[in-house]
Amino acid sequence: MKRRIDLPLLITLTILALFVFVPMISAFEYSIRTPVEGGYGLTNYKWAVADEDFLYYILRSGWLSALTVLVTLVILVPTVTWLHLSDSKLRPLIDGLSLLPLVIPVVAFAVGAQISLPEFVQNTVLELPFLYFILALPYAYRALDIGLNSIPLKTITEAARSTGASWSRTIISVIIPVIRGAVMGTIALTFALSLGEYTLTVLLHWDTFPTWVTFVAQENILGAIAISMMSLIIPFILLTGITLLMPDRSAQRRK
Amino acid sequence: MTSNIKAEGAPLERSAFRFFKITSVLPALPFLLIFGFFFIYPITKLIYVSFMSNENTFTFGNFQTAFTQPYSTGFVNSIKIAFLSALIAAFPGAIAAYFIETRGPSKLKRSLAMMNGVLANTGGVPLAFMFMAAIGMQGTLTKVLKYFGIDIYAGTFSLGTFTGILLVYLYFQLPLMVIVFSPAIMSLRREWVEAAKNLGASQINYWFRVGFPLLFPSFIASFLLLFASGFSAYATANALTVGNLPLTPLQIGGLLDGNVSASQLNLGKALSVVMILISAVAVIPYLIIQRKAARWQRR
Repeated sequence: MKRRIDLPLLITLTILALFVFVPMISAFEYSIRTPVEGGYGLTNYKWAVADEDFLYYILRSGWLSALTVLVTLVILVPTVTWLHLSDSKLRPLIDGLSLLPLVIPVVAFAVGAQISLPEFVQNTVLELPFLYFILALPYAYRALDIGLNSIPLKTITEAARSTGASWSRTIISVIIPVIRGAVMGTIALTFALSLGEYTLTVLLHWDTFPTWVTFVAQENILGAIAISMMSLIIPFILLTGITLLMPDRSAQRRK
Repeated sequence: MTSNIKAEGAPLERSAFRFFKITSVLPALPFLLIFGFFFIYPITKLIYVSFMSNENTFTFGNFQTAFTQPYSTGFVNSIKIAFLSALIAAFPGAIAAYFIETRGPSKLKRSLAMMNGVLANTGGVPLAFMFMAAIGMQGTLTKVLKYFGIDIYAGTFSLGTFTGILLVYLYFQLPLMVIVFSPAIMSLRREWVEAAKNLGASQINYWFRVGFPLLFPSFIASFLLLFASGFSAYATANALTVGNLPLTPLQIGGLLDGNVSASQLNLGKALSVVMILISAVAVIPYLIIQRKAARWQRR
């Protein structure tokens, strides 16, 4: 491995960093201004966190997203596993269907959902996890599909089944741990997508954390900016930290 | 007797066949039911209702109105902003993906992939507020630039205009380009450069005869996906504009909320159907190219 500084890479990274961080840092500077007292302070952040709605909407978006992840895993993992094992004729069909939500703009999907879903569905916020599931489907399905493609699924399943494991046990304690990379990817993606989803939620007149931010903006724009900064920077630092701390999987495999 | 044997044999065979048939669909049933109810049914009904007049009779009227003012301008603006944001993001995004994938250490690659994922997906509302704070009228970056003698508000610029929205869209389009184009770069193998060199090709020869032709389909596919993402984006534009910039998703949202009244109740549905068609023109070729490319990329 050459250890000298790679100039083209360095230039690329510098430009990318400027592109990403200049707006982010300048927005951060703006969000810590305190117009009343002058100078800087965390007034806007304190105001946002002190608002009792803050916690309420974070928790609400949190459990809705967790439920979406649950729905996604419970429906998709057995389905995709079965499609891989059975060589069913349905496989190309479901492969194609799972990509369809990519074709439909979310706005159009929201209109369709609003005019078609029966009242008892539209009256409960529990419709959101299922609709978010549809939005995340193209990515979640593909992640699981690739995960299952990379393992000797038939052998593993036969081994588990012949030693007496039931189907549910085979999936929960054998298949999921083997493809945990793909499952973790699916969880992260589905959770992030649900947490940030705005278009569908607002058009169906539900309130979650992202829609609450636009509501806050009407009375306190600085507070809304502070909340936006938190919702951009916190996942940014968290996810980057996790990837940096996680052991290098490709290196492990080579050993 | 012979008929009896047949009668005994046949149902058995048939029932075994039937059993096979049922089990060959049954495990997929929960998925198919949920997908059908929450996706196929709404979209089918949307298409159906878009052809309905206020009196529930069949009509093309909604579509005729969809192509008149102000909705036709909405489509033109939406297509223009999607096309331009995809085009501007595609080249730097592809080049960045190339340098990161071919020269970056694996930790850097993974953390950049994660960061790009966050940027491309969290987007929406927080992004709009971030840009308001950065390059809004009183924004920090605006002031810094002014200090250096560049007044971005000297002309007609504002975040709610076409240029303003375009600028904000680039912030999620560029990371998206890096994400979707990286797999194509990864599939370029070092052996091919060496093979080309052994056959007497220069670096430029390699790129024009091998590299670019191999990457071109994926580049077009990525561009199409970016187009679709810019075309459908709603949240950012909704937060930044105040009805001054006609964009189709915003117009549909306005009609759905009843903020904007139209004499035709189902106009919003017709606009949605046209949107689906335009988006399909971009996404379906993307999916086809991706599938073809995946065949040799996976090897």
